[in-house]
Formats: sequence, C-alpha cells, structure tokens
Amino acid sequence: MVLVLCEEADLAAAWAGERLRLRGVDVQIVTGADLAAAGRLEHRIGRAGATFELELADGRRLSGRTVRGVLNRLSFLPSACLRRIGGPDREYAAQEFYALYLSWLHSLQGPLLNAPTPQGLCGNWRHPSSWIALAAQVGLPALPYRQSSRDDPAARWQAAASPAPATVFVVGGRIVAEPAVHREFDEPCRRLADAAGAKLLGVDFASATDGRWRFMGASVMPDLMRGGEPLADALAEVFLA
Amino acid sequence: MILLCGIPSESPLAMVAKELDALGADYRVLNQRKVAALDIAWQVDGSGIDGKLGLEGEAFLLTDIGAVYFRLMDDRILPELDGEPDGSPARRHARGFHDALLRWLEIAPGRIVNRSEPQGSNGSKPYQAQLIRQYGLQVPETLITNDPDAVLAFQREHGTLIYKSISGVRSIVHALREEDIERLDLIRWCPVQFQALVPGPDVRVHVIGRQVYATEIVSDILDYRYARRSGGSAELRATELPAETAEKCIALTHGLGLAFAGIDLKMTPDGEFYCFEVNPCPAFSFYEANTGQPIAHAVARYLADMD
Repeated sequence: MVLVLCEEADLAAAWAGERLRLRGVDVQIVTGADLAAAGRLEHRIGRAGATFELELADGRRLSGRTVRGVLNRLSFLPSACLRRIGGPDREYAAQEFYALYLSWLHSLQGPLLNAPTPQGLCGNWRHPSSWIALAAQVGLPALPYRQSSRDDPAARWQAAASPAPATVFVVGGRIVAEPAVHREFDEPCRRLADAAGAKLLGVDFASATDGRWRFMGASVMPDLMRGGEPLADALAEVFLA
Repeated sequence: MILLCGIPSESPLAMVAKELDALGADYRVLNQRKVAALDIAWQVDGSGIDGKLGLEGEAFLLTDIGAVYFRLMDDRILPELDGEPDGSPARRHARGFHDALLRWLEIAPGRIVNRSEPQGSNGSKPYQAQLIRQYGLQVPETLITNDPDAVLAFQREHGTLIYKSISGVRSIVHALREEDIERLDLIRWCPVQFQALVPGPDVRVHVIGRQVYATEIVSDILDYRYARRSGGSAELRATELPAETAEKCIALTHGLGLAFAGIDLKMTPDGEFYCFEVNPCPAFSFYEANTGQPIAHAVARYLADMD
C-alpha cells in the first residue's frame, strides 16, 4: 500500500492519488484530519529496528509492515492536529508531536517522496540562500542572493514563495520538464535533488533580462498538477518499481 | 581567522578563547550582547560567498574567516533588549543580524562548529535513535504510545521503565513508578516515550574531529545532571572507550554532519554500550572542570586546523 499523506485541501495530492490509482498503484489517502482524529498509536525502536502502528477513526489501520511507499505532502504537523493542542503546554506538546511524526515517518519502508527531515516533514524546507548555494554547487545558473542585518528575515521567505514561470520536476532521478526550459538543466537538476536528499523536487526557473533561464528556487512539495500526466507516470514508476 | 560567537563569559566559549590564546591563534569574539554594534552583509552566487562582518567598529571580510565556534543564545531574550517593544528598531536589528549571521553560517565554507541543520536530529530522540542504530551503536528498547495498556505490557516485558520527552525539549528522566501508573490515562492526550532502564554508569563522550574524550559518571540519581538539585551525588572520571566503540562514536558524529558532539552512552555490567542521545551543542565545561580532560584545547586545535 502507498500512502498519500496530505492536508484536506491539498488538491495536488488528491490529483496525484487519483492518477496513481489509475496506473495500478494501491493508494490510501490519509489526511491531516484523519491523523489528528486517530486512536491507538504505537511506535517502537530497539534491537529489532523501528515499527509503527496507528488506528484511524474510520477503522483503517496504518502499519509500517504494510506501507510500501509514501507520497508525503505534510510539510509540518497537520493543521487539524495543531487545532487539537491547547493550554499552557501547547508549544511543548507541538514539539512532542512533531518529534513523533518525524520519527514514525522515518521508520516507514519503501520510496518516501519525500523522507522527513528535522527541517520539514516532507523534506528539508531550505532557506532561499541555501537553495542558491546548492544550485551553485551543482552548476545551475542562479541570480545572486543577498542578505544583511537590515533585512526583515520573514520577507526573505515571502519572496521565495512567488509562483515560478517554469518548473522542472525530478522524480526518483527521472526528469519531467516543461518544454520552455532547456534540457541542458536536466543533469544539474538531478544533482540538485541528490544534494538536497530529495527524491521528489520541483526546481523553479525564471527567464532573466538577458532571456536566459535562471534557477529561482526549489520545493520539496511542488504543485504536482503542473507536471501533468508525465509527472503522474514518473510517480507511478517509482511506486511500482 | 577564527570567529567565536556568543556570550564571551559563557564557560565553553571562554575556555575555547583561552586555549586559542595559548595557541597564539588569530581569532575574534562576536559578543552577542553588543548586537547594536554588529552588522553583516553577504551574497552567494555561482562564484561563491562573500561579504563583510562588522564587529564593534572593526570590519572583516567573510572570506577571511576560516572557522567558527558558535553558541548563540536566543536573541529575543538578550538582556540588552529588555523593555524593548516588539518590532522596535533595536529588536528588528537584532533579529535581522542574527538571521543573516545564521544563514551565512549554514553555507559558509570552513570549519563551522556546528552548523544548525545537522543539529536538527536532536529535536526528535526516536528519530535520532534510528540514525544512531545505522552507525552500529545499540539504542534502548523504546515505546512511544498513547495506549496505557501497551505501556503496562512493555513494562512486563522489560521491567523497570523510564520516561522522558520525545522532542529536544529538556526533561528530567524519571523511572515509571506506581503513582505514575495511576495517572497513565493522561497519555491518551499526548503520546509519551518510555524506555527499558539500562543499568550501569553513564558515559559522556565528546568527539571533536577525530579526538574522543570519554567521561564516566557514577551517580545515585537516575538523571545525573540533576544530582545536586535532587540531593544526590555524581562523580566524574576520565575513562577510555574500547577502540571499536570510539570509532563508532566518531562515525556517528561525522555521519550526522557534526564536527563536535556530546554523546550520551550507558555501559552495562556486561560491558555493552547503549546510546541515548547525541548532543550537537555540548556544554563540555562541566566535564572538563571535573576531570581535567582537555576538551576546550581539542576544540581550539580543531578550529585552528591543528588537529
């Protein structure tokens, strides 16, 4: 069984789940609300390795023994989970739940798109400067990134959230690119995904004033619908392998 | 040049500064409490990273900084910002400076002790335990659950249990006692981490580069860090690890992306080692002060590229 973990309003996840089913993948969509309302949970680590069991309120049972892959669209604790936490220990409880999610997601077997990290449950949610530095290492042309004491840190993230004119998807080493982006970027994009430790990565490009494409940023939780059927094929290939 | 960042009087930072003095190394201290007189500006592109750091009137090229040891406190609670309202110019400057500094430290070349990203594994003990296992060290049998019956079954299987936080939030390790079992239903609200008690003394291992310093702690208190507060005692003495265990500690430290780590082990009466945690920002001064182990010296040599 392949899990699609997502927030309730994640249209891209619902789209991907449907497309994977059409391609013969045994998919279970589990939303943040499902996880927040779940009952009994048991997560063990020890000499025998790590195991995970969770009983959902609708009777479904998630087990590390039956999960064969995850399309992971949870960047942080599900909103429904956060809404259930209150009181003076709210911040502590949220940290405890995040630590637990990070661990049980890490314990799952099969392709994890993407594996959880301390910096984001569906992959490392890197700062724009970190993406530019990685892009430079793998040979992707990028506009310079500048930061100083005078900048508002929050604004740096907001600038990175703008939609990109073109996206190249890396899915398990396969490239799904929009025709506008030159194929010379395929290999550097693969290297970027490797360097970022992400099996699924959306690499964003923009056309600079000289007409050449430049790296803008990357996302471990890209808009999957933008990749269309070729992206669904690539995802299915990963989970059916 | 070497940069030390934090509060200069804080013991680990002060001890490393003293050792750098003894080595005759070229270093500067970035004193967080002088944040109003600090500034930084940098850029990264295909040709690398460059920029400038201003320290109380002196300016330095970032490309001249080859190593950094940082132990920064949360800038929001700096004493110098007491009474400053949210969003005041002083607070905005402090936040902007620290963010720009930390972002630079993440991508700067050179010896950074330690970058923030690899410190993240310490935010989840069971996640870190899974990483620890990959490097050949045993971890205690662990159960995280919201089911009281599962805890009782785990207790029947393993005997005495301890419980502690799942996250990196510091918690005092307690044994699960009868009065805790009476309130076990509370875990339905928030899962709790339980572990089989591993008998034997604690061993704190500091790894810096390839140097390993092991300290054995014998205490009559379960969590020796709180021995004094609990009316107990803790005796520390330098010890040697078996070569294989020391190598595993080095591999674990480097595998987690750390240059410097404080690894918490327990040695059972059978001579087996169990690993509980890797601390990526170890306050080593307590161990050095009690044993004389030259940990600050090793950190200074690592920073000065003399290891």
